Amino acid sequence: MSRIFYNLRVIWACMKKDIKVSLTDRVFVILGVFLPVNFLILFSLFVLSGGQAPTAVVMNDTGPYAQQFYRSLAGAHSFILQKATASQAQRLIQAGRIVAVVTIPADFETRIQNNQPVQVDVAVNNLNTDFTNDIRRAVPLSITAFYAKAFPNVVTVVPQETDQYRQDTDYIPYLTVSILVIALVVGGLLQSGTSAAREWENATMKELLLSPASRWAIVTGKMLGALVMSLASVLVVLGVLIFLIGVRPLYWSEMVGFTLLTLAIFIALGTLLGTLLKQRQAFTGLAFGVAIPLFFVSGAFGPISFNVPILQVVAQITPVYYAIVLLQHAFHGFALNTYGIAANTLILAGFALGFILLSAFVLRRSTVAN
Amino acid sequence: MRVVRPNEAMTNQPDSTDNTLPAIEMQDLSKTFGSFHAVEHLTLTVQQGEVFGLLGPNGSGKTTTINMISGLTVPTSGTVKVLGYDVRHNAREVRQILGAVPQETALYEELSAWTNMDFHTDLFGIPRSEKKQRINDMLALVQLADRKNSRVSTFSGGMKRRLALGRALLHDPKLVYLDEPTLGVDVQARRVIWDYILQLRSQGKTVLITTNYLEEAQALCDRLAIIDRGKLIAVDTPEHLKQTYGGSVVELETAHTITAIDKIRALQDIKEVKQENTRLIITIQGTSNVVPQIINIVSQEGEIRDIAIREPNLDEIFLRLTGTALRD
Repeated sequence: MSRIFYNLRVIWACMKKDIKVSLTDRVFVILGVFLPVNFLILFSLFVLSGGQAPTAVVMNDTGPYAQQFYRSLAGAHSFILQKATASQAQRLIQAGRIVAVVTIPADFETRIQNNQPVQVDVAVNNLNTDFTNDIRRAVPLSITAFYAKAFPNVVTVVPQETDQYRQDTDYIPYLTVSILVIALVVGGLLQSGTSAAREWENATMKELLLSPASRWAIVTGKMLGALVMSLASVLVVLGVLIFLIGVRPLYWSEMVGFTLLTLAIFIALGTLLGTLLKQRQAFTGLAFGVAIPLFFVSGAFGPISFNVPILQVVAQITPVYYAIVLLQHAFHGFALNTYGIAANTLILAGFALGFILLSAFVLRRSTVAN
Repeated sequence: MRVVRPNEAMTNQPDSTDNTLPAIEMQDLSKTFGSFHAVEHLTLTVQQGEVFGLLGPNGSGKTTTINMISGLTVPTSGTVKVLGYDVRHNAREVRQILGAVPQETALYEELSAWTNMDFHTDLFGIPRSEKKQRINDMLALVQLADRKNSRVSTFSGGMKRRLALGRALLHDPKLVYLDEPTLGVDVQARRVIWDYILQLRSQGKTVLITTNYLEEAQALCDRLAIIDRGKLIAVDTPEHLKQTYGGSVVELETAHTITAIDKIRALQDIKEVKQENTRLIITIQGTSNVVPQIINIVSQEGEIRDIAIREPNLDEIFLRLTGTALRD
């Protein structure tokens, strides 16, 4: 029994000590808290600005059909539209401020009424293939939509949509949940890894290794310390997510549980890498080198099942994928794969346990070479 | 003080309170890093209550040796026992009876002296009812009680060493090792640390120190092991080392430079003759009666202005044993 109390005391002492040491490095604390928020803001801005093509519409005709055509363009979800004169539009496209200029001719109304063909000029700044293709797809779709609205008796083929979910999920709510996952990845890795590497850099690892305390207790204490420090950054990200962006979890208990489980995985991985590398600078480089690719291959921007098979295979060997699957379920109720919540949770728990065992084993085997 | 000893109830364990057990036993101990032999076939015994010194230049294998004793480095071959406990198989027991002052001090510089001590009491399972008193006692012992709430990063090198020593003694270890205890500290602080080490001897603790300061080894150690390039060169008390490997040193100052050096070298029991202009330094084996013959040869060439006979210092012994000066 005394052995249990002794181990609990070591765990508590290591946790307390690591928190105190971390708090003395104010710059790192600030970075640790705000770096994930920074990710959230930057990615959100990227999505807000990068999802739709800024386009000018020159309305040489302002009749009802021309207005209807403009509304069809606006409803295509592909443009950020602004009305402009021909000269204004020309200046904007030359300055690189817009991707395309759509010109509605002066005789638009007349030609439509007379059932004559109409030519709508589309000038494209084809510097960016992605945007260029958006324009090439969206303008014909807008024309189809215009005809369907303007002549419902002529266009008889209409889509009958059945949605899998009750409401659409915009790109921002989906992506911000994925960004929460990268906040957990980066926060967990940095807090625990730098704490472990710092012990080696400052040679204080000798104080730990020369004590009779169990290596398991030391590792557990250090991980709990990193967990407390990481939670600060996670709470800030969650605060921004819930109160500023307005993305609220559908299942709060799932959100709390999966957040803690994901943190545990990356805190254990950070401890493992920090113990192996023994240098903060090398570790920080590796942490970002690991976190960013993991984020991109794990279905952060959309369900990975829509992607190429090789990417799906790669994604499923990383814990980030399962974390995204589970947290998307917690926030939006999505089922991004067919394994079910229990199986996804078990896989994630397996990663957590594996990394915790491995990092304790590596610390146990650690020696000081001279 | 009651310290948690996980396996103390096991009957097949050695009794660390048995005063007849050697404090440290190294048998054919070796450590290699790739093709580099840091320590080669080291066999040594340190008795309880001794202040034992490992003397050698930088890179001679001293720190690797104590790292193997404390379990921080795994030997490539051979065994180490501390108070009967095999370091490899009873690492936890060994750490419980070992107090360590590493070369780098291993203090958390961001934290206060008190917090460092407090953390150590938790790691070593010192009962909560005793820890406050023990920390206060140790801080008083190393004269840092008035700085207990200061961050260690504000301490001088000597203060850090003293704090590390106080911390190492918190759990009342039977064996204390100090790796280069006065490295980088000023002369005054060095004297203070020496006093603490001598106090440990008076308390009956076994002390193992590594040093490359000869005067430190001479002032503190009951016995010395001279190590060079990972090999044990000699082990004995400082006095015996001088007698065995030193003999006597005759220093002569003459009016003119003497040319009959070969004649002196040819005499019986002459170990070494060095000439520095009008100064001759002659090392003699043991307590030989060859001095009158030297005086006779030298006086035939010219006037002897000064003559002195003294014991060799450890530096000269080290040079003789290893062929290199201690801090080349």
